[in-house]
Amino acid sequence: MDNTKSEKDLEISSRRDFFRKTAALSATALAGTSILAEDDPAIMHHPKWGQSWGDPVTKNRYGIPSAYEHNNTRRNTKLLASGNYRASIAVTPIHESEGIITPNGLFFSRCHGGTAQIDPNEFRLMITGLVEKPIVLTLAQLKRYPSVTRTHFIECPANGGQEWRGPQFNSLQFAKGFMSCAEWTGVYIKTILEDLGLKPEAQWMLAEGSDNSEMGRSVPIDKVLDDAMIVWGQNGEALRPEQGYPARLLLPGWEGNLCVKWLKRLDFASEPWYAKEETSKYTALKPNGKAIQHFYANEVNSTVVSPSPEKPWTDLEDGDIVEIEGLAWSGMGTITGVDLSFDGGRNYVEAKLKGLVLPKSWTRWSYIHKYKKGETLLLTSRAMDDAGYIQPTIDQEVSVMGVEAVYHRNGVETWEVTPEGKVNHVQIRTAGGVKNA
Amino acid sequence: MLKFNTKIILSALVASSLLSADAINTYAVDKTNIDGGVSYPVVNSKTGPYYVNTQSIGMKINNGRVPTKNELKAWDKDVMPDGTGLPEGSGSVEDGEELYEKHCVICHGDFGSGGGGYPALSKGNAYELQETLTNNRWHDPEADGPVRVFGSYWPQASTLWWYIKDAMPHTKSKSLTNDEVYAISAYILSINELEIDGEEVADDYVLDREKFLKIKMPNRDGFEPNIDGPNALENVRKYYSNPKNFGAIKVNPAERCMTNCQEKTAVVTRIQNGGIKDFEPPMSVVRDLPEVKSDGAHVVSFNPEKAYTENCTMCHGAVAPAAGDKEAWAPLLKKGLDKVYANGLSGTDMGMPAKGGSSLSDEEFKQVVDYILK
Repeated sequence: MDNTKSEKDLEISSRRDFFRKTAALSATALAGTSILAEDDPAIMHHPKWGQSWGDPVTKNRYGIPSAYEHNNTRRNTKLLASGNYRASIAVTPIHESEGIITPNGLFFSRCHGGTAQIDPNEFRLMITGLVEKPIVLTLAQLKRYPSVTRTHFIECPANGGQEWRGPQFNSLQFAKGFMSCAEWTGVYIKTILEDLGLKPEAQWMLAEGSDNSEMGRSVPIDKVLDDAMIVWGQNGEALRPEQGYPARLLLPGWEGNLCVKWLKRLDFASEPWYAKEETSKYTALKPNGKAIQHFYANEVNSTVVSPSPEKPWTDLEDGDIVEIEGLAWSGMGTITGVDLSFDGGRNYVEAKLKGLVLPKSWTRWSYIHKYKKGETLLLTSRAMDDAGYIQPTIDQEVSVMGVEAVYHRNGVETWEVTPEGKVNHVQIRTAGGVKNA
Repeated sequence: MLKFNTKIILSALVASSLLSADAINTYAVDKTNIDGGVSYPVVNSKTGPYYVNTQSIGMKINNGRVPTKNELKAWDKDVMPDGTGLPEGSGSVEDGEELYEKHCVICHGDFGSGGGGYPALSKGNAYELQETLTNNRWHDPEADGPVRVFGSYWPQASTLWWYIKDAMPHTKSKSLTNDEVYAISAYILSINELEIDGEEVADDYVLDREKFLKIKMPNRDGFEPNIDGPNALENVRKYYSNPKNFGAIKVNPAERCMTNCQEKTAVVTRIQNGGIKDFEPPMSVVRDLPEVKSDGAHVVSFNPEKAYTENCTMCHGAVAPAAGDKEAWAPLLKKGLDKVYANGLSGTDMGMPAKGGSSLSDEEFKQVVDYILK
């Protein structure tokens, strides 16, 4: 479809011309549209909700989704059920996602000792170590700092990590749902540090949670003084307990694990800590036996969201116009473009970005396709960011990282569309890998 | 760091003004970020697309108060590799084994073998297993993978001490004394067949702070980039400035491959053996009504079997009697059902946490017990 031409047409047409043209088109289009033999009862009868009182406005003091949406939920799998679901993950149904914001109740949730339920009156944040003046803050005092609001995704670096050796999940929710995106409100840590005064020998910051696992991570001072935030707001309300209520660390674009929840203490020092989640886990083992530690940013990535294994094209008719839609994101910057392939990444066309394009945020993209009944497609998307990165092929990534890295997999993803319109998760790769690129 | 590099900002401005109107991104960027990505300096009151209020810069806000010495100490529990934060104390392998059987075996298994969804702490001799870290299952799913347990993989022993003290036992964390943590650490060192200063950590070994600081983990040098010492941050910046180090690819967008881009040897690889699909709740995109109570509330009926699976099965069925194992439960039932309820509700010294560590109500918990004994 030539979008450039149609945009130009719209520009030069007057409003009246436009409607006249579309009306003419509609008349011809009608011939090709099927007409039901019998009238639709959904139209011919009054529905019960149209002939009786609805609920009073007093019913749900805190609104909840329509009861019909009950399948739009976070899900778990036994594979990722460690610690009786207390050192575990619940993943986001991104096949149902709209726009670039994840509703708070569907935001993915990972914890190491269960979801802590914190009394905000007993919340204290201590900032200590190599600062001129250590302080302790109540929640009210924390929220009194000048605030900022930013839209950022948070992604577990193990998103897609089950599939280094081949596809495992025939599901978008499980293949890519270890992430979500929200609008966060909080304070830049650099704003607080202006008051406290950072000592010159401070190179690292330990962030500790107050939860059962006392989750801790070492953060380099570069990030602390760039865009690191302590956030208390999530999509216009308080953080949910699953996201660290009442306050968490947010390091835009970096591993979700680094964004310590149920925050309790920030400690500044000249050496890093070697916390459990930056040594035993969240380190990426390469084929030479060396593991990457302090692997901070989630690299440029993308996926096709519609169609997906959950949302196939089995109801499409020959010649239907359908929007192939997807998400792209980069923890290293802003998405600058997405390419789409119909043959598993051999040949690409440029897709269109849609809506707001924000740094370190989910970005929507799409491509309009005329569906041909019976066609087999291999839909592969490939994103780029303003730091200059492009998603590698699976072979390119595996040649450096091997297949045992667990974390930070961002090779291109492929959906196979079968002649029946079903959608399968496949990978396009060389058996056994291409070693030593 | 709070002062922005004006050179970078100027070059970014020049660069953005040269971009054509069609360019999607025109935010001013700083490309010297430690993670290999970009950051967005404040230019013309904006960082990237966001306006910022800079009025408070240079003002003293003075929120909060200075903590007392006792408060600082109460929360200063972190332990660093050089011994900072590691308290005095001691414990033997023998005592550690006893404590392990009491507090740890229920999840981490005999001799730290793991199982049941909790991590293994040992798989044998740490020095030999460290050599498995070059294993990569390129072709053969049945081949031996790398063994990443405490002894073979972790770079520092301080991590073990700190995590046991802070986060263990999982259902009753922060309850062990320093001596108990030394004893359990000694036991875990022994089952990994580690040596301290040339001496094997055998059954009669007594670990203390001085000896602990002499531990050199077999995989101490197995990680990159180097994050120690005064040049750490420069090392990290340098590491991530080279995409080849971490499997990334940089490209000039105008020169990216658009035709014939896949490797010639690449083929369609499918999910094997049906893949993983034990999703809870089961996958569905149907829009229908769930079962509804007469008052309009959705039925969230309590399911004892589900509660058992979520809260009990890591131990029950592994190291503790499973549901339905009448033979195993019979001796306990001799004391009466009320005693079994009471033990479960308040926990036991055998490692059973109160209500299995769950947040079930007493009534719900009893239903789970009934299910187990059924």
